[in-house]
Amino acid sequence: MNKLLLCLLFAGSLFAQEVIELKQPASNKVVIRLMFKNGSICDPAGKEGLTYSTASMITEGGTKKMSYTEIQDKLYPMAAEYYSSVDKEVTNFTFSVPKDFLNEFYPVLKDIILSPAFDEKDFQRVMLSQQNYVDQVIRASSDEEYSKKALEDLLFRGTNYQHMVQGKSASVKNITLADIKEHYKKYFTRNNLTIGIIGNYTPEFLEQLKKDLNNLPDTHPAIPQPGKANTPNGIVVEIIAKDNAFGSAIFTGEPLSITRADKDFTALMVANSYLGEHRKSYGQLYNKIRETRSMNYGDYSYIEWYNNGGGNMLPSSGYPRMSNYFSLWIRPVQIAKQLKKQYPELADVKLGHAHFALRMAIKTVDDMIKNGITKEEFEATRTFLRSYIKLYPSNTTEQLGYLVDSKYYGQKDFINEADEALAKLTVDDVNNAIKKYWQIDNMFVTIITDKSETEELAKSLKENLPSPMSYSNFVKSGLPKEVLQEDESVANYKLNVKSVTIVNSKDTFK
Amino acid sequence: MKNYIFPLAITIAVFITTIVNGADGGGKVFPYPIEQKMLPNGLNVVTVKYDSPGLAAFFIVVRAGSRNEVEPGVTGFAHFFEHMMFRGTEKYPSDKYNEVLKSIGASANANTSLDRTLFHMTGNAEKLETMFEIEADRFQHLKYSEHDFKTEAGAVKGEYTKNNASPYQQLYENLLNTAFDKHTYKHTTMGFFKDIVDMPNQYKYSLEFFKRFYRPEYCTILVVGDVTPEKVNNLAEKYFGMWEKGNYVAKIETEPVQKETRYMHLKNGGIPPYLSLNYKGPAFSDKEIDMPAIDLFCNIVFGENSDLYKKLVIDEQKVRYIGGEGADSRDPNLVSIDASLVNKEDMQYIKDEIVKAIEKVKKEGVDEKKLTDTKLHLKYSFAMRMDNPTTIANSLSSYIWLTGDPESLNRLYALYDKVTVKDIIYVANKYFVPTGLTIATISPDAEGGVK
Repeated sequence: MNKLLLCLLFAGSLFAQEVIELKQPASNKVVIRLMFKNGSICDPAGKEGLTYSTASMITEGGTKKMSYTEIQDKLYPMAAEYYSSVDKEVTNFTFSVPKDFLNEFYPVLKDIILSPAFDEKDFQRVMLSQQNYVDQVIRASSDEEYSKKALEDLLFRGTNYQHMVQGKSASVKNITLADIKEHYKKYFTRNNLTIGIIGNYTPEFLEQLKKDLNNLPDTHPAIPQPGKANTPNGIVVEIIAKDNAFGSAIFTGEPLSITRADKDFTALMVANSYLGEHRKSYGQLYNKIRETRSMNYGDYSYIEWYNNGGGNMLPSSGYPRMSNYFSLWIRPVQIAKQLKKQYPELADVKLGHAHFALRMAIKTVDDMIKNGITKEEFEATRTFLRSYIKLYPSNTTEQLGYLVDSKYYGQKDFINEADEALAKLTVDDVNNAIKKYWQIDNMFVTIITDKSETEELAKSLKENLPSPMSYSNFVKSGLPKEVLQEDESVANYKLNVKSVTIVNSKDTFK
Repeated sequence: MKNYIFPLAITIAVFITTIVNGADGGGKVFPYPIEQKMLPNGLNVVTVKYDSPGLAAFFIVVRAGSRNEVEPGVTGFAHFFEHMMFRGTEKYPSDKYNEVLKSIGASANANTSLDRTLFHMTGNAEKLETMFEIEADRFQHLKYSEHDFKTEAGAVKGEYTKNNASPYQQLYENLLNTAFDKHTYKHTTMGFFKDIVDMPNQYKYSLEFFKRFYRPEYCTILVVGDVTPEKVNNLAEKYFGMWEKGNYVAKIETEPVQKETRYMHLKNGGIPPYLSLNYKGPAFSDKEIDMPAIDLFCNIVFGENSDLYKKLVIDEQKVRYIGGEGADSRDPNLVSIDASLVNKEDMQYIKDEIVKAIEKVKKEGVDEKKLTDTKLHLKYSFAMRMDNPTTIANSLSSYIWLTGDPESLNRLYALYDKVTVKDIIYVANKYFVPTGLTIATISPDAEGGVK
């Protein structure tokens, strides 16, 4: 991979856009990523979701020369594909095409970006899906994803980071085709564009691409400052009540003042990996909650946005953010209604495992803040990360994506730079970063759970009641003494809970 | 529109030539040589050398999945056992195993489906020997306590709990239970919930399960990346050569022929109305034309470029999505056509439109050019995806679990080339019949209401 990176050029240009290119002469394809610095923070108040609608109309609608159906028909035998993704601060368009069809595909690509039709019928179709997402899909498909989006809604309340990129139930209804046309002109310009290209293309092709994209408006969009996460007074819990939820899905979050661009980030990467590396069995959270106590499917921690954590094993590119938070993901744990059904010995249980799991997770962070990690733990985690981060650019598109994102953060190549920084890191750097950036007294918590669980859970959290772990006899009989002792301290561990509210699922993301 | 068709066809023909005349020059869709070596104990070792400097994907495919769960009360066990494989050995107890795995810095995990369990890691090619060592150790000497076994059962229940939040998962579970009577495809890979709750009682069965399936004749080692076949074969001999062969063969019941249309319905007003038509299809084969013809049929009739998609999604906007595909599996499985509707009142109309499109193919076949375009589309899509060791290994692993031979990939694409309009008419008439159909629906109503 490093050999390829030697070919990396940051091309100087006569044109306004920034260009990142990586030639791969042996490749059978070309991938182009166009990143516009805009994102959902540019959505006007009352029209939240507009950037998403605009991007969808570009990639799921026709151009002035061809209808959407005609485009699909033309590209079908070539297997050329393209899609958009919108995040808080950027919109990405990604195009992939076999190298031999690049020249045939190019006029379509050009028109998709430069001459979208913004047709009324396409608009109706695109908005139907978007409205459906904010009305139903987010609440009904995955409680884990739901709890994550609900957490952002709390963390960033009152800022341009609060709403989902798809918008809100009421705001999506307000979006008109005229809004989309205006938003396109205003926020998709040559001056907020980064061009990324990778694969088997000629210099002439790139020149043409740059020249054509220079025909985007020459205005300078006023991009708002990204909203910062709120720091709550104490631990603020929102319990979202659903009909027939099978478990309690939990997310916690607190503001984090640094991003990949800061020098302390790699120290925090080590701390975070030790605490709860995504989908790995080495983290402390995973070890205590899943492996030792059998409470759920997994438990992880994050120091930046991780897209589609339920599906992705490695972090994907395309979501650079200057506004950040530290979060814990506790996958669904059992509720009382289910425990009673499953185990006769738990017939009298009143509360499921959410309170205990939350205490366990926060106490684990607390212990790390107090005690730090040892030199051995540091070395093992650093060794792991120095190898593991090189897997992040897992395919051609991600190779390009990581370079484009790096540019956003003012870096040349995040992976290489992080590796160099990791090489120089000491255990003291890590332990200092933990103390400096993590705390456990003020954070937001969202819990998606069944209606039957909400009242008891709210009471238990609000009054800081002991929450002893209710094991089935299967597990309890074989647990070592140390685990039971630790349980005792976790069950009585005081959380700085200041507020607990119960919200009906129907009333979220309005 | 027609102006571009002719020159495009020429360009495509040239490109296909460059794809098919890949490194081995054998006219195969997969452009890299696939080296295979069968060890005396029945373990197959597959190596694909790929230009990914310093990087290798190491996979072990176990040809046992929920299909092999033949006894009552132990559904979901293949998946449970995949979890147990991370519980350690005498040499590497789970904390030590994790420590070694962490030191490799690989992306590693496992997953289970109907016909197989897959263990995979992608990482530093220089650590290949360590990968072999720790995997050989747990595949031959797995040892866990009864307490660890019972504890892990809770994690499986946790996995079921998170999956169950999706109504589509609930639909799928009920659909299989309705569509199948005898075959083990009746249950999902997760298993029936009552069996999951009972898992902690099955410690003895778990020991038996390991003895049966974690044997060389059930497994294939697959390594893709910056490696040589010599090195891989030597390491396989060194670490897996002494692995003892087993003799268990599961007796999987044949599914009786379905006699009439079946129905299942899930009442849920929280998501868009959903319609799923599921026809009994064939097993995967790299010799018979049936499955490749069904793949092409589904792409042409229900894909995003189909007339039906254009009508229902683009023009009428009565459905948000429609698509169809046949499940590739070792035994006959379902070919499913799924649609997410805007209004529940259109359920019958959409079902009728789908059936109408099928009936049209039975009588008139499909457009020749569309058939050619679809074959090209499948090949180019495949070629574009093959850009990293993990994806290549994943792709080859499918054919390893389906037939035992990764070369099936090349044979399948060769069969695609041979599919004619007549073959499409043949499979439409043979498989897409009301007596083989199970209709699954989701809507706010108490009943699905589709005839």
